[in-house]
Amino acid sequence: MAVQRYAVGLLFSSTGPYSVVSRSMMNGALLALDEINTSSDLGVTLEPVARNPAGSNANYAAMADALLSKGIKHVVGCYTSSSRKEIIPYFEKHDALLWYPSHYEGFETAANVVYTGAAPNQHIIPLIDYLTVNHGNRAFCIGSNYIWAWENNRILRETVLARCGSVVAERYFPVGETGFASVIDAIIAARPSFVFNTLIGTSAYQFFRDFRRHAAEAGINQARDMPVASCSLSEPELDEIGQDAVDGHISASVYFASLKSAANAAFIASYRARFPKGPAPSADAEASYLAVKLLGISLAFAGTEALPHVKAAAARLEIEAPQGKVRIDEATLHTYLTPRIGRSTKSAQFEVIMEAKAPVRPDPYLVRSSPRFDIAVPPRAVRLVS
Amino acid sequence: MSWRLIQNFSGSRAILCLEANASADALTRTLSNLGLTVEKRHPGEQAFEDPSSLNPDRDVLFVDGDIDAGSIWPAPYLNLNPPAPVIGLVGHEAPSRLKTLLQCGATALLRKPVLGAGVYSALFAGVNAYRHRRHLEERLKEHESKRRGRRSLIKAIVHLVRHEGLDDEAAYEFLRKESMHSRQSVEAFCETYIRQLDCRETEAFGAPSRHAACAAIRSEGRRS
Repeated sequence: MAVQRYAVGLLFSSTGPYSVVSRSMMNGALLALDEINTSSDLGVTLEPVARNPAGSNANYAAMADALLSKGIKHVVGCYTSSSRKEIIPYFEKHDALLWYPSHYEGFETAANVVYTGAAPNQHIIPLIDYLTVNHGNRAFCIGSNYIWAWENNRILRETVLARCGSVVAERYFPVGETGFASVIDAIIAARPSFVFNTLIGTSAYQFFRDFRRHAAEAGINQARDMPVASCSLSEPELDEIGQDAVDGHISASVYFASLKSAANAAFIASYRARFPKGPAPSADAEASYLAVKLLGISLAFAGTEALPHVKAAAARLEIEAPQGKVRIDEATLHTYLTPRIGRSTKSAQFEVIMEAKAPVRPDPYLVRSSPRFDIAVPPRAVRLVS
Repeated sequence: MSWRLIQNFSGSRAILCLEANASADALTRTLSNLGLTVEKRHPGEQAFEDPSSLNPDRDVLFVDGDIDAGSIWPAPYLNLNPPAPVIGLVGHEAPSRLKTLLQCGATALLRKPVLGAGVYSALFAGVNAYRHRRHLEERLKEHESKRRGRRSLIKAIVHLVRHEGLDDEAAYEFLRKESMHSRQSVEAFCETYIRQLDCRETEAFGAPSRHAACAAIRSEGRRS
């Protein structure tokens, strides 16, 4: 059988502010690439063309344009929504396909993007369900000042208020901020049922450490009485938080490295063998892995890299991923995934404490789970703290 | 009467009045993902002869400004608040085309070619601006009818001052309380009150007392 060769762009920021997660995503993509290229029955070779935008949106735009101008039709990459929004127009202009492998806040269904990470109904909605049933309905929201935090906090606020709960406060900090003493005092004074965290990167790691320490000084068992819940916390980030404050955090995700299945055991073993220095495998690494797997198999079935054929082939696939069965929803080009809730342990892993029975259909606009009307909340005069 | 923003359009019906092309495909796909059902009309078809069949709380129209969109509504509806929200698709950014779209009642515009991005924004702005406009028009109608009723209110106050020995404040307070009892606006109540006075005056000897007039209004209310 003649082997078809296709160039595939890889656009991950292996340096810069969110490089820890991006490097694990790159590793997941490379692992799948190896598996596709060594598979004897697919007859496809993917040739990676990797670029490092270093976390700068301007670099994403320039590099995506350059890759697509070379005639590359398929690119796997991006972590932040802002970088994805930045490069979508180039994919529309060149009629190419971006395989976006990260959880995100939803409200997009671009015809030139396949989304293999979790949509909001697959992470934040199950998380709110878990928190309100098990911890109470008084939320304190703390986040980095950008779309991820704003949108997740809106969903949380609407859902919690509809259940007669309350949002004690909503505080935003610039990305990279590490001074949290005054907000921690406010949280300890307010004694919410839980803290909903949408801080990212170094800000989040610092907050976890400081909050744990201050709560202990105030005689509070923080993990038990005021747990911090996130939709974005992953294993490589637990390593960054450090030993003193690593355990007892709640995270919603479609994948945890601790999942017990043959497919996951194989994934973890090959990942650790190929990348012994880390970073640890994460949900976004698994999403990147399955993006490249789905792309490679779709290319093999389509026999061409033309978009309509590849998209049609992708929509017919169901593969056994490390997280379980996954498939692409043809209407939204998002993926059926299995929501789970995990609690972090001392060994920087998550124990799964809740799991959906079957893969859940993606609902990027939350048309099946959000109220028709906006909830009237008085506009806030000030958003940014510090 | 309150007015609230719609954010989830699931269950709404989109009616596309545009030629079959890539924009129509992208629009259909994105609207379906947003939970709307999509129906298509061919430009030039007299599809909207009966605007009363449209439901402004459910339907939203997408109209291509590059076709002769003036025929979308029968003439009496042009330049008025249309029977359902309209979103205009803009190809030629020319005054004649934009004017046509606004005459059809467009409250949001969407640039062609449609690619998916921008559809939710146009839907959000278009439907909510339409609802806000309709809300303001209803408020305006309400105020107009109140304004017309002021004449009866003045007549009723003058009557109470003249015949019942009340001062104007006490007269107004009396009418306001009675209108609340009968669950009407004070203006609508005064209209009935004045009618009662007139009609009973001709039937009997002289004008009835205010209490007799109010009792008559109440018993009428119970009968109806």
